[in-house]
Amino acid sequence: MTSPGKTMKNTPFTRRGANAALLTFFGAAALAVTSPALAAAQARDPGAEAFVQTKAQRVVTILANKGMSDAQKKQVFHQAVDELADVPRVTNFVLGKYARTITPDQKARFATVFRTYAENVYQSRIDDYRGEQLKVTGSVVRKPGDVIVNTVISGGQITQPLPVSWRVLGGGQNWKVVDVQFKGIWLAITQQQDFVSTIDNAGGNIDVLINQLQKNGSGSSGRR
Amino acid sequence: MSLRDQDQSPGQMAAGRRFAAAGMAVAAGLLALAPAAHAEDQVPTVPAPAASGDASVQPANDPLEGLNRASFKLNMGLDHVVLSPVTHGYLAVTPKVIRNRVSSAVYNLGEPNTVMNHVLQGKPKRAMRSTARFVVNSTVGVLGLFDVAAKMHLPPRGADFGQTFGVWGAGPGAYLYVPAMGPLNVRDGVGRALDIATDPVSMFVGGFSTDFGKARTGVTIIDLRAQTDPAFHALKDAADPYVTTRSAYSQYREAFIREATGEAQELPDFDTPPAAPTPAKAAARKP
Repeated sequence: MTSPGKTMKNTPFTRRGANAALLTFFGAAALAVTSPALAAAQARDPGAEAFVQTKAQRVVTILANKGMSDAQKKQVFHQAVDELADVPRVTNFVLGKYARTITPDQKARFATVFRTYAENVYQSRIDDYRGEQLKVTGSVVRKPGDVIVNTVISGGQITQPLPVSWRVLGGGQNWKVVDVQFKGIWLAITQQQDFVSTIDNAGGNIDVLINQLQKNGSGSSGRR
Repeated sequence: MSLRDQDQSPGQMAAGRRFAAAGMAVAAGLLALAPAAHAEDQVPTVPAPAASGDASVQPANDPLEGLNRASFKLNMGLDHVVLSPVTHGYLAVTPKVIRNRVSSAVYNLGEPNTVMNHVLQGKPKRAMRSTARFVVNSTVGVLGLFDVAAKMHLPPRGADFGQTFGVWGAGPGAYLYVPAMGPLNVRDGVGRALDIATDPVSMFVGGFSTDFGKARTGVTIIDLRAQTDPAFHALKDAADPYVTTRSAYSQYREAFIREATGEAQELPDFDTPPAAPTPAKAAARKP
């Protein structure tokens, strides 16, 4: 007897219930999708984070120093780079498959040229943003001794905090940066694709790349 | 203004969604036509097996490289004579404060499209935040010139159709370099077309045929070029600028999609140069 009225009244609730169920479903689905990432994010490495906080902040501070000339900055950066980055490892990585076929003589020449080139490029990229403070926001352990440290750089000329990630290898007191990521783009990965393609297109001749970098490296320093 | 916006927004959304649904069907058809060889890319919700186990980055999917390289050359030439001088004039005569106002206004006009995509991605919270951003910035923020919402803990969080397709599991497909548009891939190209075709602001305020639409397009292009100017500088350092652009664009878009899915990135191992440990794989990779 009262049931028709009840049904009428109940309809909105049922609909709301259905909506809630839908939301729960989507929520659960979203959780299911993100949970692997969450699990990975829980594995942090305080040692790697502390390393990046100290050494990367030092580089950012040097580049933000308004009292230093560009030439002075270049000099200091040149010295600071070995404390921060594992240059030989990066040198090997950017050669990709050609790291196996390069001759010792070519390797020696490439290492010299790449070092100058990389210093210019890394300095330019970090300098493009002119931030002042670097703050570690977390880290993800890919596997022991291979960690992505996430930071944000702010202050200076940066209007919105800029996320920058650092890939560090090592352990204990011995960490070194091997790659840096801005806006989703890893510098060393991009360089590997750039360099391998250049050598491929030169019919496998690594000297073509070495000459090219020599040219670009000097062009870059002339621009600064 | 705010009342009018609120009154309009449900209608806008519904219309937008209807258009989106139609577009989606077309897009789905197009994506299905994308080379079947990349079918494995289209299920990224299942974590991929740990890359290749060596230090080589995945080879690029660029079957149209010859054509793309020609477009790239053409675009860089056009940039050199037209866009770059205009942009550097703009950078020279306007202080950074003004340029930031322009960027905010451009971004604000894209916000309704962002909301639509948050909804399509099944992210109601983000959709609500972006809606609130649009309402606050269009009114209190004087037509979007000031990003007031960001100071109210509503930071911008972009979304577009390319990202939505990525969230739904579409792989990037072949890389494309389109004259006058720049780097794209099949997924993001279809996405870009939909972004333009279903843009609520174009539909309700004025499309490209109106003065508003023309002004908006012009300002958007200059703003984008100014914001990517450091990237253009970086290209001067590259040994192969074409490949550097392709690599950077692909990584940037994948990161943008991971931002929506929350997935962790698969990275190549750092220390094992490819080839010798897996001769079969290396041989297969060589064309």
